[in-house]
Amino acid sequence: MARKRQSPSSAKRTTPKKKRKIDAAAKARQKQKDTLEDLRVHGARIYDDLNNSRFPTFSIPSRSVSNIVFDDVTRQYVLGNSSSTRSSRNSSQLRSFTQLMWLAFFANRLTKEKKSSTLRDVYYSSQAFAIEFDNQAESDNIIVDLEAVTARPREDFRIFPEERSTIFGDLNVEYTIPGYEGKTMNLSNHPDGYSIGPSLTTAELVDTSAELVIAIEKGGLFTRFVEEQIDKKFKSIIVNTGGQAPRSTRTLLKRLHDEMGLPIIILTDGDVYGEHIAMVIKSGSANAAHLRELTVPDAKWVGVWATDIEKYDLPTIPMTESDIKRCHDLKNDPRYAYGIWRKELDVFLRLKRKAELEAFSKYGLTNITDKYLPQKLELAKSL
Amino acid sequence: MMIDMVQIKERFNQISPSEFFYSNRDLAGFSNPTRSLYTAVRELVENSLDACDQKGILPNVHLSIKAVDPSKSDPRHYILTVKDNGPGVDADYIPLAFGTVLYGSKFGLKQARGMFGLGATMAILYGQITTNMPVVVHSSVDGKTQDRFEILLDIQKNKPVIVKHETCKVSKKGLSVSICLEGDYSKAGTKIRDYVYETSLITPYATITFDDPKEQRFSHSKFVNVMPPPPTIIQPHPHGVDVERIRRMIVESQFDIPVVNDEMIAKICKELIVKKDASFKRIMARTARKWKSLTKHVRIILAIMSFLEVDFDAVRRVRIEDIDTANNLISYWDFTTSETKSASMDRASPYYRQLANTVQGEQLAAFLAKRFQRVGANTANKFAEFAGFKPERRMGTMSNQELVSLSDSLQKFDEFLAPDSSCLAPLGAEPLEKGINKFFIPDFSAVVQRPASAYSGFPFIIEMGVAYGGDIIPRGGPHVYRFANRIPLLYDEGSDVVLKVINDIDWARYKIKGDPPFIIVSHICSTRIPYKTAGKENVADRPEIERELRLALQFLARKLAGYMSKRGQAEAARKRANLYAKYVPMIAQFCTELAGKKKEPEYQKMLQDLSNALALDSAEARQIPVEKSDAKDSLSDAPLDKKAVADAGDQDKSVAEMKAFDDTGKNAAHTEKNAAPLNSSIALVASSKLHSKKRSTKTASTSRNNERRGKKKTSSASATAEKPIQILAFGRTTQLQQKEKQGD
Repeated sequence: MARKRQSPSSAKRTTPKKKRKIDAAAKARQKQKDTLEDLRVHGARIYDDLNNSRFPTFSIPSRSVSNIVFDDVTRQYVLGNSSSTRSSRNSSQLRSFTQLMWLAFFANRLTKEKKSSTLRDVYYSSQAFAIEFDNQAESDNIIVDLEAVTARPREDFRIFPEERSTIFGDLNVEYTIPGYEGKTMNLSNHPDGYSIGPSLTTAELVDTSAELVIAIEKGGLFTRFVEEQIDKKFKSIIVNTGGQAPRSTRTLLKRLHDEMGLPIIILTDGDVYGEHIAMVIKSGSANAAHLRELTVPDAKWVGVWATDIEKYDLPTIPMTESDIKRCHDLKNDPRYAYGIWRKELDVFLRLKRKAELEAFSKYGLTNITDKYLPQKLELAKSL
Repeated sequence: MMIDMVQIKERFNQISPSEFFYSNRDLAGFSNPTRSLYTAVRELVENSLDACDQKGILPNVHLSIKAVDPSKSDPRHYILTVKDNGPGVDADYIPLAFGTVLYGSKFGLKQARGMFGLGATMAILYGQITTNMPVVVHSSVDGKTQDRFEILLDIQKNKPVIVKHETCKVSKKGLSVSICLEGDYSKAGTKIRDYVYETSLITPYATITFDDPKEQRFSHSKFVNVMPPPPTIIQPHPHGVDVERIRRMIVESQFDIPVVNDEMIAKICKELIVKKDASFKRIMARTARKWKSLTKHVRIILAIMSFLEVDFDAVRRVRIEDIDTANNLISYWDFTTSETKSASMDRASPYYRQLANTVQGEQLAAFLAKRFQRVGANTANKFAEFAGFKPERRMGTMSNQELVSLSDSLQKFDEFLAPDSSCLAPLGAEPLEKGINKFFIPDFSAVVQRPASAYSGFPFIIEMGVAYGGDIIPRGGPHVYRFANRIPLLYDEGSDVVLKVINDIDWARYKIKGDPPFIIVSHICSTRIPYKTAGKENVADRPEIERELRLALQFLARKLAGYMSKRGQAEAARKRANLYAKYVPMIAQFCTELAGKKKEPEYQKMLQDLSNALALDSAEARQIPVEKSDAKDSLSDAPLDKKAVADAGDQDKSVAEMKAFDDTGKNAAHTEKNAAPLNSSIALVASSKLHSKKRSTKTASTSRNNERRGKKKTSSASATAEKPIQILAFGRTTQLQQKEKQGD
């Protein structure tokens, strides 16, 4: 519905402020209702089994390596058709079945009562219900199981990562979390940026004057960009991914693209890991192959490219052995089989050197914002 | 000078055996009041049991210890009485048997608890020196009249002094010995009770009753009605003799010069067909003619007469003192003149050979074949060759050095057959197992009787049993009950060969860990147990015995390991049942709220079916006698001492049922006992009904099939998925995931 209402058009460039007429609260209510219904269906099915002296089971899409496949159409990793049955009849699965059952129960409470939780919080909450997890990794894994079973990201159940990434720019949001319903906020009010936590993830995006989103890998450069007023100079929203972008950040990027029609530009370090950070934003990770709403296929990686190292004569450091190995690994990834992705990998492998974003300081602290960024943004239009 | 000589002479006076033991009583286990009381009990009880064993009587032994003056404190004087239903001792022998040290009826090579009845007299001797009271013996050999003796021991002369002797009428056979001695029951009590308890374990055919000074009665009834086959007295094995023994055997083997009396003369007359007053010449003439038909004794006397040149009348008046083959002289005592005379023997005489052979004893080969077990003519000849003696060599002609060399060779020659074990009387595997099951009420027991083996020519048999679980109390490792020739060994455990072997075993290898409720019963039977001390408390480590013990123990340990793994399976099944009992109610609780229901689903039946299936599984894994509870009831009737088991009526029957309880007799009844207390919420209904088992196994198998089918489906699904889309290599994806995890 939202997409329909503000499908990308030439009009948005002419009007600096796009007002979106939406009922944020109603939207949030609908999502909550859908999530609760999904959970209830599972609960009812299990209740029924027990009532009829049957041992209930969960069918969980397999997330084993052999079942993670690359989908050429969506250009992302997805789960295959294989799934496994977790049965309460099997004594070795009984414990994890109960854990999953509990998590569904707990997610139901969180969703119903609109309370937010984190991965770590879930792990500690289990103890109150005499549910044993050996460590957080085990409970994290069960959370992914629930995502896979319901085909919903954990954010739907109000389980969020510990926030780490931040956002800054002229964007008005309307909160949906309890106590802040209907309250709006402009994300350019605080120069340190706003952390992308539960309230921001669940907030409705109201309007923005920005014309693009710049996702940047590092906190240091994010601060520099804010100081240099990149948001104003280039009409942009700046997002600090803090390394690999957390899923809530990826979700937000996707929404900025889909709902606000903003192009996503990604700036990373000039190494193979930076290239992959961009790729994950673009086409998802194998870890989240069971979820489909985390990718921005149109996102554009504009630098730092391997070719930029030569072009701008950037100071470099040699690649380590693991860097080189990583290059070779990625070359086998179907997503790196074509275009710029393949080309840059090959150059990295040829140079066997890498450069940081900060490398541009060689030519002055503002060189990156003054010279490099405008060139790249221009280039992005043709990408 | 003269005075010194006298003193020296006196100093070397012989002492009597009584005196020797009087001054060395520590050796026999009479070192202090505690130990002495215990040893006295042992010696008297063992004497009674031995006497009954020998006559094939099922022993009924009554032991009582009463303080002479209960108001005194320990150590004090006690009256120790042991009464049995044995054959009794003939009145003529009682003074000697109970008033002399080293007098007894048990000389001979066969398995018995005691050797010479030495211990009993030691107890009497100890009683006398501590209280100066006579031993009181009641004995009836015919069951009609009873002799009552009060006897003191003349220690210096080793002779009995009869203080009192009376006779009365009775209705029962048997012997009762009552001694008064200084003892310490407060300290010895535990050991004595243990002794009585353990004795009745290893003597299941005996009824033993013990009345202790505190008026408590410990009663152990017999639970086996058949005595083990009695041992037979046999000849020594060649490996089991030394020089001294050979020397004694040679003396035994030499023919005595027959006594010449009227009877013998009449016999000679009859054989020669002559008259009593026949002349010497007439006799010799007849002898020459009839020699071949004469019997051995007649020949010897006639041969002597030929050299002495006397007639029947004269030969009656001499006593042959020596036949000296070296100097060809016969020396004899002439009663007529009261002096020793000698006559020369003519080597050429045909009678010389007869006499020489007589005094020189048997030929080596015959000696071996006749006087040793498991030696035949062939072996004897082979041995003679091995030892470097002629087989026809006369034993009597061997010098000391030759005897030593012969003895050495006997030890070294390895072609002798193993010792005959018919002289042993092991208890037998079946009574031993019965005893173990009755006394310890375990979950598992196993026994083994090893085939006979031998050390240094003495045969021995190892019997061993293990028991695990049930009523056995963990005591930080296996608790060992040691027996030798049906005697419990209670002291000096640490230095015993059995303990050594048990400690050498790595029990963890046999799945026995932690603090196991675990006992071992070891019984060594031998004609001679190699005790380390005269106190008969620990067995020395002979390699042959050690080896047999180890084999027996390993055999049992393997059996136990088999049981332990089954027990482990049962425990795993129980744990599984607990798992369901723990998690399913949680699942029910969570799904109720999730489904938006008020009432929890009815999952109890499902859980119960599952528990039944598991219970049956675990029942199969265990083998416990069903009669357990019965046996326990009988135990609770017993007096304070837990070990004392009162008369438990149908024990034989119950043990027989235990036997029958093999792997076909799986019964879920006892599983209930184990599983139920762990979680009451899933009451495991113990059901031995066949149909419930069938049903549960059926459900189990169908669910298994379902799982298999499910797996097949998923694998085929992934196979079809392979075609249109690429599948990542394993290693790469993991790395992808690793990198991305940082971001999540």
